Amino acid sequence: MEEPIVKLEKVSKTFRDFWLRPTVEAVSGLDLEVRRGEVFGLLGPNGSGKSTTIKMMLGLLAPSSGKISLFGLPPQAKAARAKLGYLPELSYLHPFLTARETLMYYAGLCNLPNKVARERTDQLLEMVKLSDVATRAVGGFSKGMARRVALASALIGKPELLVLDEPTSGLDPVSTKEVKTLVKALAKKGMTVLTTSHLLADSEDICDRVMILNHGKSAAEGKVSELGESLEEFFLAKVGSGDDFALADFLA
Amino acid sequence: MLLIVAVLAAATGLIASERESKRLQLTQVRPVSAFSIAWGKFLALATVAAAILVLPCATLLVSSEFSSRQCSHVYRPLLESPKEEALKMYDAYMADPDTSPMVKKAHKSIVLRILEQRAKDHYQTVQTNETASWTFPGFCDWSNDNPFVEPSARFRFSNTFSMRDDVYGTVMANSFFGIVSNITQTAVTVPMRLCQLKWEHDVLSFRNMGDKPVMLRPRQDVELLVPADSFAWNLFRSYVVMASILALIAAFGVFLGTGLSRPVALFVGFVMLFVVEMGPSVVEQYPDSLETDAIDRFGLSVVRAVGACAKPPSALSPLSALAADDCVESKDALGTFAADFVLAPLVLSLLSALIMRRKT
Repeated sequence: MEEPIVKLEKVSKTFRDFWLRPTVEAVSGLDLEVRRGEVFGLLGPNGSGKSTTIKMMLGLLAPSSGKISLFGLPPQAKAARAKLGYLPELSYLHPFLTARETLMYYAGLCNLPNKVARERTDQLLEMVKLSDVATRAVGGFSKGMARRVALASALIGKPELLVLDEPTSGLDPVSTKEVKTLVKALAKKGMTVLTTSHLLADSEDICDRVMILNHGKSAAEGKVSELGESLEEFFLAKVGSGDDFALADFLA
Repeated sequence: MLLIVAVLAAATGLIASERESKRLQLTQVRPVSAFSIAWGKFLALATVAAAILVLPCATLLVSSEFSSRQCSHVYRPLLESPKEEALKMYDAYMADPDTSPMVKKAHKSIVLRILEQRAKDHYQTVQTNETASWTFPGFCDWSNDNPFVEPSARFRFSNTFSMRDDVYGTVMANSFFGIVSNITQTAVTVPMRLCQLKWEHDVLSFRNMGDKPVMLRPRQDVELLVPADSFAWNLFRSYVVMASILALIAAFGVFLGTGLSRPVALFVGFVMLFVVEMGPSVVEQYPDSLETDAIDRFGLSVVRAVGACAKPPSALSPLSALAADDCVESKDALGTFAADFVLAPLVLSLLSALIMRRKT
């Protein structure tokens, strides 16, 4: 059996205060595998540890215990990062660079030769439908346009694994559909995609397999088709329906 | 100094602001090492600072007032080191009934430091019709190698009398002779001409022919000037030194910004700059008798420790040498470049990379 692209073994993360006293255990003993060519969804309510898990996978946070490997290498390894594309939850772009300059900058960081970088930039700008505004500073872009630039910059190095943190956050329905179509197309071409989302319908549409996280632990994992008729119902059953939320009583 | 402050302010924000805006994450997930990120930030800022520095230098170069000037190598006399002199003075000083009892009770190292400062500031009095001589090793060889190049001598007289009094005298060095006739300045440069007389080897002598004694500190106030090259070359070497100082400040700012948030890094950077800049004058002006006070001694020890680690940028700046047409030596410029533009930033960038990795 082929080695998984992403592998987490008994990974835990405990955040500590200034005096090194543990404050919160964000992830606890998590095992996770993402296989080549699949679209994997990491689902969970706010504070369930999704972003922490992704940051540990990317080498941006060190786990307190456990082992993480990316393409069989530690997450900080250059060779592993060369095969990685990352779209963060918010598009942290340099506001004074144009869309083209942004892509060229990230192409440079991926060590692409100039000619290849220019070609890739043109292709990606075309793909995210930003060719017309390629010379405008991204600081003046709408949230949706900035998101598309960020997505293009995640794809500039032709990654084998694309990590999308809330990819449709802040996008209108049309852009959301476009992103979903794009993810499906990338998956069809063989790219492995790891995505987190609050929008269960989106995950249901694009993911092959999902893991539901709750309080830093895996509540369920499996193929979307195997989780029942509705992912939303399954999700609510696993993490709680919110019935215990006393707002109604409070208002009454 | 303004440029130093600006570079420090910009440097502290390079990584700190990117980390705070989370933009650094996007760079860190690319196949680049943490060292490359820190080194790249430093190199970019050092290049911008060096480019900004070109403008005032170019202005000086095209200015007719400076372009025709020549610079000189500056040599100081060979004297016993202040430390050695302090050790020799120690016993006599402690036995002296005029020495303050507080100083007598103080630790030997403190007393030696006081004496060392005195040795540095030691004044030599040259009475009327008296000759004072100082040795400049290698001067004879130099004059044999450059028979047609005429040196100068520079003195800074500290008269006990009015500054307006004249200083008269003669200066001799090897086969060169000059006349001191100074009216209102305490610092005087005496051009020397080749003559038939042959004086002692490697010795510069001053004979006071005025009607009053003159005083000077041999360690600081006697210099032999030997013509070097053009102002343009001196300016270039000064530029290298200034750009290197700015580079060091940039590397230090980037290092602070890696470990601390921007406002804290900025505060720490400015406090350290202030302490480094003001430290020597605090140490110099502090009265000896108060050194025995424990709190003051602790404060002074801290300032001295900082002073031992870093020299103030204003003392490193070659601007005063440039203005006085003193040659900024090539080996000094190269040494400063190697230490401040390459070695120290490399070490600081490595430390920044370690912190970046620890923070992830």
